Amino acid sequence: MTDDKQIAFTINGQQVTTTPGTLVIEAAKRQGIEIPSFCYYPGLSLQAACRMCLVEVEKMPKLQTACTLVATDGMVVKTDTPGVHKARKDMLEFVLTNHPLDCPVCDKGGECELQDMTFRYGLDKSRFVEEKLHSPEEKWSPLVYYDAPRCILCFRCVRVCDEGMDVKALGVGARGVHSVILPNHSGQLACEECGMCIDICPVGALTSGTYRYQTRPWEMTYVSNPCAHCSDGCKTTLSVRNNEILRANNRDRSGINGEFLCAKGRFGFDFTANPERVRQPLVRRNGKLDPASWEDALEEVSRRLRQAHETHGPAALGVIGSNRTTNEENYLLNRFARAVLGTNNIDHHRTADYAGLAAALGPGARDSLATMADIYSAGAVLLVGNDVTNQNPLVAWQIRAAVRHHGARLYVLNGRPSKIHRQAKIVAEVSEGAERQALRWLVSEQGQFDSKTTEALVRLKAGLESESGVVVLFGADITGSAIRDLVSLAARFSGKAKFMALGDYANSRGASDMGLLPDRLPGYAPLSDTAERARFSKLWGAEIPAAPGLTARVMLEAAVAGKLKALYVVGANPVKTFGVADAGRIAGLDLLVVQDLFLTETAARADVVLPAASSYEKDGTLTNTAGEVQMTHRAMDPQGPRSDFDLIRILSHQLGMLGLGTPIRLRTPEAAFEEIRRHVAGYDLSMADLLAGGSEVAVATCRIHEPGYEPPAGEVFSSRDYLFTSGTLGRYCSKLISTEEAKEKPWSSSPSTQSWWQR
Amino acid sequence: MELPPLLEAKFNELIGRYPIKRSALIPMMLYAQDHFGFLSDELIEEIARRLDLNVLQVTETLAYYSMLRRKPAGRHHIQVCTNISCMLRGGKELYEHVQKRLGIGNKEVSPSSTFSLEEVECIGACTGAPAMQVNYDFYENLDPDKLDVILEQLQEGKKPKPVPVTSGALHERLPAEMPVISKRFGVSNSRSLSVYLQHEGYQALEKALKQMTPDQIIEEVKKSNLRGRGGAGFPAGMKWSFVPRDSAKPKYILANGDESEPGTCKDRPLLEMDPHQLLEGMTIAGRAVDAHRGFVYIRGEYRYVLEIVEAAIVEARAAGYLGNNILGSGFDFDIVAHTGAGAYECGEESALMESLEGKRGYPRIRPPFPAVVGLYGSPTVINNVETLSTVPAVIRMGGEAYANLGTPKNGGTRLYSISGHVNRPGIYELPLGFPLRRLIEEVAGGVRGGKKLKAVIPGGSSCPMLSADEIDIAMDYDSVAKAGSMLGSGGTVVLDEDTCMVDVARRIMHFYAHESCGWCIPCREGTAWLRKMLDRFHDGGGRAEDIPLIDELAKNMLGRTFCPLGDAAALPTISIVKKWRNEFEDHLQGKCAYRPAEVIAGGH
Repeated sequence: MTDDKQIAFTINGQQVTTTPGTLVIEAAKRQGIEIPSFCYYPGLSLQAACRMCLVEVEKMPKLQTACTLVATDGMVVKTDTPGVHKARKDMLEFVLTNHPLDCPVCDKGGECELQDMTFRYGLDKSRFVEEKLHSPEEKWSPLVYYDAPRCILCFRCVRVCDEGMDVKALGVGARGVHSVILPNHSGQLACEECGMCIDICPVGALTSGTYRYQTRPWEMTYVSNPCAHCSDGCKTTLSVRNNEILRANNRDRSGINGEFLCAKGRFGFDFTANPERVRQPLVRRNGKLDPASWEDALEEVSRRLRQAHETHGPAALGVIGSNRTTNEENYLLNRFARAVLGTNNIDHHRTADYAGLAAALGPGARDSLATMADIYSAGAVLLVGNDVTNQNPLVAWQIRAAVRHHGARLYVLNGRPSKIHRQAKIVAEVSEGAERQALRWLVSEQGQFDSKTTEALVRLKAGLESESGVVVLFGADITGSAIRDLVSLAARFSGKAKFMALGDYANSRGASDMGLLPDRLPGYAPLSDTAERARFSKLWGAEIPAAPGLTARVMLEAAVAGKLKALYVVGANPVKTFGVADAGRIAGLDLLVVQDLFLTETAARADVVLPAASSYEKDGTLTNTAGEVQMTHRAMDPQGPRSDFDLIRILSHQLGMLGLGTPIRLRTPEAAFEEIRRHVAGYDLSMADLLAGGSEVAVATCRIHEPGYEPPAGEVFSSRDYLFTSGTLGRYCSKLISTEEAKEKPWSSSPSTQSWWQR
Repeated sequence: MELPPLLEAKFNELIGRYPIKRSALIPMMLYAQDHFGFLSDELIEEIARRLDLNVLQVTETLAYYSMLRRKPAGRHHIQVCTNISCMLRGGKELYEHVQKRLGIGNKEVSPSSTFSLEEVECIGACTGAPAMQVNYDFYENLDPDKLDVILEQLQEGKKPKPVPVTSGALHERLPAEMPVISKRFGVSNSRSLSVYLQHEGYQALEKALKQMTPDQIIEEVKKSNLRGRGGAGFPAGMKWSFVPRDSAKPKYILANGDESEPGTCKDRPLLEMDPHQLLEGMTIAGRAVDAHRGFVYIRGEYRYVLEIVEAAIVEARAAGYLGNNILGSGFDFDIVAHTGAGAYECGEESALMESLEGKRGYPRIRPPFPAVVGLYGSPTVINNVETLSTVPAVIRMGGEAYANLGTPKNGGTRLYSISGHVNRPGIYELPLGFPLRRLIEEVAGGVRGGKKLKAVIPGGSSCPMLSADEIDIAMDYDSVAKAGSMLGSGGTVVLDEDTCMVDVARRIMHFYAHESCGWCIPCREGTAWLRKMLDRFHDGGGRAEDIPLIDELAKNMLGRTFCPLGDAAALPTISIVKKWRNEFEDHLQGKCAYRPAEVIAGGH
């Protein structure tokens, strides 16, 4: 018996109950029955082109394609009959006629769907004795190659580029057996170079410029990590051989990103092997950075830090942390600054006002943060600012999928162009930087706009008021009071609103959550919260000063002015980020220590450079911009550099021996994460999912609403990275920047500079 | 880019014609090609810009259609048909003759750019075989001498006179004929509105609009037992009744004039000699399902027909038979004529809609069916040109009376284009159920040269072949089906005793491989494989195991392809291997035992 909402049908004699509208191929899969297919791909439009999924259906004279056949009540489907087996064999025989069968030299060998299908369902011999069609391989871009003879024309690539990416860079040329896939720009690709087409290709027709002819898949080990670049937190599976990453992809769809990766996630891993990588410590001697032993370098740092502390006091010391180091490292660094050095001069480049969002939501934040999955399932999305297509590609992918799969409505308030506007129901365009004023107007009708803008805002408001349960996304321009405006605007809509602040980098949120802020402790407790300050003072074994420290920008100014004497920079490039004009060493500093992968503009000015491991080379956790925490793993040995975790920990011990502060006794990132879970508000996460490779949402919340919170002026800003840049790290991703598209900077000044394929 | 004023005006007019701009793409490419000789990168970019498309979208569409060129052709583009009907009457020899005479091969251009040559698939001149087109002009009933004269005249800058109407459409009426839809054929200036009006024109429309409700119209068409004349034979009235009465979207009437089934040329005379009959039928259909817009999709090769239909539309509109408030009834209906650009697949109804939307002619997944989700995603009635041209007669004489002209379940009359080895190739209107033997022997004057009959294709090259001893059947949908074949499109092709059936199988497979859209694996790969194998086999490279393999591969396509094109390729092949297996065996001796072997030049 079935209830009203269910239908029952039979596959291979098994009774299946499912919802109306279910495709037979999906229902069978859930039942554990594989129906082979090439062209069918969940989430993309139906094709019925490959004819591999033919099944028998009672009362239907011809075999039916299970990928388009909707199960109906009482239907009797058979997938295990001689007729079905023969049809599969015959289709494979047909598709192999013009296939080169060059499996021994094909990148896809070993993980090829055509190989697997032929192995499982195909003939053991070939009856084709005619000449095969041949055409030479084509290089479409440094990252994408096409081998037409291998192509089975399943059109997955065309669809993912069109429907999934909304780039439409792939099409079909010629006709019949001569059909080929065509790139959009006279034999070349002009696109986002996401490489989705490569991953989705079931055969070796589309291959990766970074991976082709490098290895066989079974020679590699696989490590799934959050991507090292933007703040979306896509999982990318690193394929490693001989301590070298050869490929990154995400075919198992295990992360929050499903199958999605952008160019950075897929091709931006080669910074790890960049020849410019700093592989041993450098100490400045006679004005020149010379290689030094770890022992000497660490001794130099600790001795001179101790000296600066002694001579100038803790207020003359500063720490600038990273948007890319792990939560454990950030937590340790915070502890190092406040409990070892005894200073609140700690900050990082803030790329979104996470603190402002926590302050605006207060204790209610726990169920008010939107996840990446929430975007996909949202009925409506309000996007304020940012070009998510370029800055947060997964967010853009989720929005497109939500619109395409279930008709979600996208509302945009933006001062800049973005390709995502194509998906929008209503776009209220304001002049650049006027999003805050527009929000103010939406809340209070205060302020003046021209009639066209006013009309757009009125339409936007009316549209939003018809929605229930809006996911609200906003960029770096929306801070402090503007976030409060947004929250109060959303409170007027029916249903539960959820929020996501869009930052720039892999652990931008984690850096804020872990309290790399001069006025906040981990979990956004302000220093004025005496109970929290006492709690962390006790935990860290030292009294945390009550007065807020200097912000990153002010620290640099103070350093130039000679008021700050020692600066410890971990995984950041503040000279570039904040634009320090002084060309030489930072004038007033006695000691600049930089811990990084490369000799950045800041590192080049350092007294000591400590080479650090990247997030692909160490264990820990990262928190994406939505607050989703994921584990990152040591996929390979960094060959020289050490993890920031180790370096901070070792320094604390060395300083302890010199009589400064209490050594940090957390020996491993796991131990540090245990402390974080116990002591940082919102991070009391279950380990089960994390250990299994999943994500857990951390909701670092303020214990109190802070109605007056404003971030310090000029401290929250986006680097405006786009698809081919990634702050300082992007410069060292050789493959990524080898594309033609990388040379074009979208929206650098005016809309007309947007790349044509994104317009 | 700057366009010549006429083309500029044409582009602007085309863009404004359709509910979506992209529909103008194929016509724009054709007109641009007509002017510039080919489609340059610059033109593609210009067209893309005007239609808000990206260059790839234009390139993709362009690449699909065989008439569209990326390189210049000669001033006179000679297109010689070698498909079945022409092949049987010397098309191949004619093609070779042109090759020799012009000294150029397939798709090559003469050094002076005066001529270019192309071996083409069926151009719809089967009853005037062998035939060719020079640019858009038809020259039929050719032989090498006639051809030389034409080439000489072209060389001298003169324009030889093309055929005035489809050869074989005009002939003395035989007693067996029953002209209903062809009765104005041969009447002077029959395509004009005034002549049409003198011959019962638009009376049915007036009746339908003023005396009948939409439901009554559908009822009448149902009663007429009018079945689809395109090939599938689906009852027209039933098709109309599937269109939802209430629809938020506009509904459309679509006339399928993509006549491309080899052996078939009966829509061409209907369009060229009686366009108003079609327009009237479409308007009545529009009234029946409450549609207000119609499209006539004409195959690209019939360019001159487009001009005739467009002129008829202008005339009808001026006289109030199209447009707003037709005949004071309050009913609005208008029609756009449109052409494809060379693709047999676009005769498949859903592929035709894709093509009309300016895309590659790939068929669509069904359900949903066009009656519910068709052109532009709207409910659509799509019928063959002949089917819609029959509607005025049905309404005028009443469904029952029309039905009674034929046999039960097979109402009325239909046009047969009979070609091949007969004495009188031509287009004849006969009642449904007319005996095939009489069609060949009496109507078409029997097998040419007193030869014996070997085989008959009853209704276009996708039908299984009938052997000489299978022709005592009635030509109606059910009887032919019972005999293991199909009535199809009415394109009857007669093959005499000398015909090499391996060569016929080979030529037919060439066509389907050329026309396979490439969407689904079995058709794309199956037709190409069979084409190569049949080429090899016919050339003397056959192996004994090829004979069952040809049969099996055809059967492996059958019933498993996305659209019926796979079946169309498989069915004749299977029937030939089955009925003339001995000829395949004879070929194993290394030579063709029948007509001299011929090789298709230049492949696809």
